Amino acid sequence: MCCSHSFDDRKPQVVAEAMNLDIIKGMKFFDPHVHMSSRTTDDYQAMADAGIVALIEPAFWLGQPRTGIDSFRDYYSSLVGWERFRSSQFGIKHYCTIGLNSREANNERLAEEVMELLPLFIYKEGVVGIGEIGFDDQTAAEDKYYRMQLELAKEAGLPIQIHTPHRDKKKGTQRSMDIAIEHGIDPKMVIIDHNNEETVKEVLDRGFWAAFTIYPFTKMGNERMVELAKLYGPERIMINSAADWGISDPLAVPKTAALMKLKGISDEDIKMITYSNAITAFAQSGQIDENDFITPLSVDQTEKFAGNTVLRGGQQPRTDKSSIIIS
Amino acid sequence: MFDYDAERFRVLITELTRSNVTEETWHWLSEKFLAPETSAVNSAFAMMPRKTGKLPIAINHELWVEIEKLKPGFTLEGWTIDRIGRLCLLLHLDPTDKEKYVKTIENLFLAAEVNELVALYSSLPLFAWPELWLMRCAEGVRSNIGLVLEAIMYKNPYPISYLDEKAWNQLILKAFFTGKDLNKISGIDERANAELASTLVDFAHERWAANRKINPHLWRLTSKFIDDDLLTDLKRLFGEGSLRDRQAAALTAYQSDSVLAKNLLKSYPELLKAIENKELNWSSLTPEE
Ligand SMILES: [Zn+2]
Repeated sequence: MCCSHSFDDRKPQVVAEAMNLDIIKGMKFFDPHVHMSSRTTDDYQAMADAGIVALIEPAFWLGQPRTGIDSFRDYYSSLVGWERFRSSQFGIKHYCTIGLNSREANNERLAEEVMELLPLFIYKEGVVGIGEIGFDDQTAAEDKYYRMQLELAKEAGLPIQIHTPHRDKKKGTQRSMDIAIEHGIDPKMVIIDHNNEETVKEVLDRGFWAAFTIYPFTKMGNERMVELAKLYGPERIMINSAADWGISDPLAVPKTAALMKLKGISDEDIKMITYSNAITAFAQSGQIDENDFITPLSVDQTEKFAGNTVLRGGQQPRTDKSSIIIS
Repeated sequence: MFDYDAERFRVLITELTRSNVTEETWHWLSEKFLAPETSAVNSAFAMMPRKTGKLPIAINHELWVEIEKLKPGFTLEGWTIDRIGRLCLLLHLDPTDKEKYVKTIENLFLAAEVNELVALYSSLPLFAWPELWLMRCAEGVRSNIGLVLEAIMYKNPYPISYLDEKAWNQLILKAFFTGKDLNKISGIDERANAELASTLVDFAHERWAANRKINPHLWRLTSKFIDDDLLTDLKRLFGEGSLRDRQAAALTAYQSDSVLAKNLLKSYPELLKAIENKELNWSSLTPEE
């Protein structure tokens, strides 16, 4: 979840530098926070073309509240099932984090049922963490289910992906970290998401991972991100698109890599920020094998996904977008 | 309760599982056999690959043969250790409480990720109360995930024995629509029927009209139902088709009881000869260009 945009805080876009991803050709990217269920196949194709080889889809709020437990079950099940399959058709390895998001923690009756359901999903293959959890309005119910899910993560030995609030961000971020420490969680198991210039220093100083969401209008722009990368270096920093049903950009990671390269950040640092740090952090789940996407469609079973095509390697056929003929 | 010697089968699968996992994993798993709580079964089922890894199973020839003999049509081909561990767990569920047994397994289906679905669907022929899994099997056929479909379609004896004609026909149509290897579907020729043949012929005409390719295996399912229209189609295949199409037309005519079709085949002696010499069959069609 990223964005409760209010659509009025959008500023008219200034004509930007023309997109040229050629300078990052051959680089591989890992987007550790993107809600693909809200995106189209065109996005998958564009992401694959831009070098994204793997991604993490955190469980989040679907834009309107769910009214029953079965909706949660179907959603979690689509994250480990259908969406994973859809992604594999474009050669992108799909992981997910599973959790009860902060907004819906406020529906306590349902939240109780979700807590009972979670153990059925968190041990599944490719589930690389509990997420995205944390605070939204910072209510008592949010506090309660955040704590319960920290305990669950501890028991399962899984990393935790923390959503930080839009409103009162700095205090919400501090509080999330304080509570994690209080529950005896090792900061290296915790990825604090949606950081900005105000929060990053403390997050890094306290030993947590700092993730930045490159999201137009409401979160970080990537020029600011480049400055942060210069200031803090690549240690324990990662970026993501958090693309969802709002105005967002599933190519945020490769685009930001391109901008970093233009602004003189080294290839090694770019790689850490856009690829390897996310893998290091979430591989603590024991559920990420880099070989699954370094040599895509090799020994992994995803290659056998033939879907509804007769193509080899499970890849989706390409349509010629420059043609008016649709065959 | 079971339609095969489930007792013996369970002993053999247990032995096979044990020989493929570490002592520690075996200890973990065998404890779950004794735990009747559904939550223990649920988490053990989900956690299986974390404990067992996902390598292909190692098995000696005698055991392989004995297991496959107990359930004709079932195969261990392509099975991995996590899958055999999951099957082993399921075979240890108590089937006597019918309602609880079915509900436990059905809930695993509802929350399953892809590899779990593969394990569950390929285990369908081994579950107790086989007649109760019909709807579940038909639901699986509606999946759009290739691996899931293959677990149901390829070398799985459940659909041939239990799906009614309508559900069976859906399975075959789905196989064509999703580009599956028809040679791997158990019982494909035995369960050919007039309804299916007529739907497939409509489908073929639709593809022709749209200028799209037709999987020539489609024709094999029409061979027992050749009428004038189908004869026209066969003529078209012989006349305008690729070598692969002509081979399929020849095999279809050869398998048919229709005198007209057999006479038509006589006009293509080299194809007829290839069939009689056993050089040409449904597995040896010339690959698609
Ligand atoms: Zn999000």
